[in-house]
Amino acid sequence: MADNVTQPDLALEANRLTKRYGALTAIEDISFKVAPGEIVGFLGPNGAGKSTTLRILAGRLLATSGRATIWGESVALEPAKAKQHLAYMPENNPLPEDLRIREYLELRARLKGVEEDQVELRVDQSMHDCDLQGRASMLIAHLSKGFRQRVGIADALLAQPKIILLDEPTIGLDPHQILGIRDLLRSLRGKMAVLISSHILAEVEQVCDRVIILNRGRIVAQGRTDELRRDLLPSLGHRVVAACTLAELERLTHVMDAHSTCREVRIIGDGWCEFRVVLSPESPARDQLLTTLVSAGLRVREVAEEQAGLEDIFLAATRRDNREVRT
Amino acid sequence: MRSFRVLLLHELRSTWLSWTTWATWALFLSLLGTIHWYAILACSRTPMPWTPTEAVFRWFPLPLLCILPLLTMRSLAEERRAGTLGALLTTPASALAVVAAKFTSVWLTWVIFWISFAIFPAVAAHGLGASTDPRILDGVTLGGGIAFVALSGLLHVSIGILCGSRTRSPGLAALMTFVCLLGLTVSGGLLDALPTDGWEWLGWLKEPADHLRTVGHLEDFASGIVDSQPIVLYLTGCALCLGLTVLAIETAD
Repeated sequence: MADNVTQPDLALEANRLTKRYGALTAIEDISFKVAPGEIVGFLGPNGAGKSTTLRILAGRLLATSGRATIWGESVALEPAKAKQHLAYMPENNPLPEDLRIREYLELRARLKGVEEDQVELRVDQSMHDCDLQGRASMLIAHLSKGFRQRVGIADALLAQPKIILLDEPTIGLDPHQILGIRDLLRSLRGKMAVLISSHILAEVEQVCDRVIILNRGRIVAQGRTDELRRDLLPSLGHRVVAACTLAELERLTHVMDAHSTCREVRIIGDGWCEFRVVLSPESPARDQLLTTLVSAGLRVREVAEEQAGLEDIFLAATRRDNREVRT
Repeated sequence: MRSFRVLLLHELRSTWLSWTTWATWALFLSLLGTIHWYAILACSRTPMPWTPTEAVFRWFPLPLLCILPLLTMRSLAEERRAGTLGALLTTPASALAVVAAKFTSVWLTWVIFWISFAIFPAVAAHGLGASTDPRILDGVTLGGGIAFVALSGLLHVSIGILCGSRTRSPGLAALMTFVCLLGLTVSGGLLDALPTDGWEWLGWLKEPADHLRTVGHLEDFASGIVDSQPIVLYLTGCALCLGLTVLAIETAD
């Protein structure tokens, strides 16, 4: 495995990548960077261009325009050098059915340039990391979907690359296996840069340092989850349980500014109501909600801040993009 | 170079561990054994101007068209169907190394098949004992014929590899290889048979006909004549086909 003496600032860089198939534009102007050791989630609805981007980065597809760089090497101009730093697990992870797990991993290790005296050691280590030791001599044709995914991840780890691209790595896995893969990915933080394409937002949220959201071939949002939350869902939601009448709630609405609202009011008995207060970023009540509620005459029992999840962020980002296109 | 060596060893191992290779080999030996047997019978009845080994090599287009497509059809089409070719190309191994390893593996297997044919003249000579005509173990024809198969195999196998790179279906790859090899074999004979002497306007076809007469080249080799013309044809044809294959798999999905 070739190793650069000096570590580049970026593990991976996509610079204005565009891929067109005739009149169809699969991705357009995709630019992002991944730092060494960073774990980044790559999200998007079906057909958003995630797999196309990963395939360009892996050197399996030529971009119509733009530049992809892996560990400082251009993927298009120096593919062999770039691939020495990279491991790619494609979606559905095709494997040769007629090989045994160990045979396959040994072949891949040799092809990835692992020194001959290190092959067995690396294969054992990868199988251990992916919990495959007991199945080393099984034919790949006899493996379940979950074990095939594990073989793909073991293959990705074999040559200890600088960057791993994983296209839907947990698809088809049961919850126990997903937990195992999630722990494995977490253990890679700081050692390898990982770019994970996934539909499973909870998984990305728990594992990734940063997310990139694609929609219809373009990046519509990227950053840390808290940054995206602030950017895409600036209105702060609170769930409130208080003793009040509808008239008092009406008064509360007047106390708050024009952009803030009380929604989803539900009477839960004995004069208690549960409702959502959504405060605009400009609302003066943002930092003193409890005081505002009490001053409006409500007897407050409970106030809980709602945290927007990655799912809300993802939906907000893609909806905003769809709206912009329609207008 | 390391990738090529690793891939070649893997290809050879996969080829010889596959029951289809052994079944194809059995079919090949049955075909050639039958031709050789009938040639011996014919020679035993009436003196013939050819030896049984020569007779087998005259039938060279038959195993070429029936057996070679079975060997080449799995190499790339099968990998494309399974999607493993794309995965292979995400390693530092180049497309050239992948194509060269697959080509070399099939070519070596094809040559081994033909070398194994030597068992029939050897068994016939041993079985017939001292009374046998020494021409039955026709070493010159055998050596020259196998040398020709090895040389022409460069082009024939590379055609099969190229056809395999254009489809995901091994069956279709075999059919495409069969058609291309049939065209190559028959076209030489057809062009050669054209009455170019009578029709002057067909005179320009003489040279291509001379280039493409596969059986004629085989007869030359079997009789010890080594002409540079077929050597150049097979080497350049092989390089062209393999170059096109590399381009095809680099751009394949």
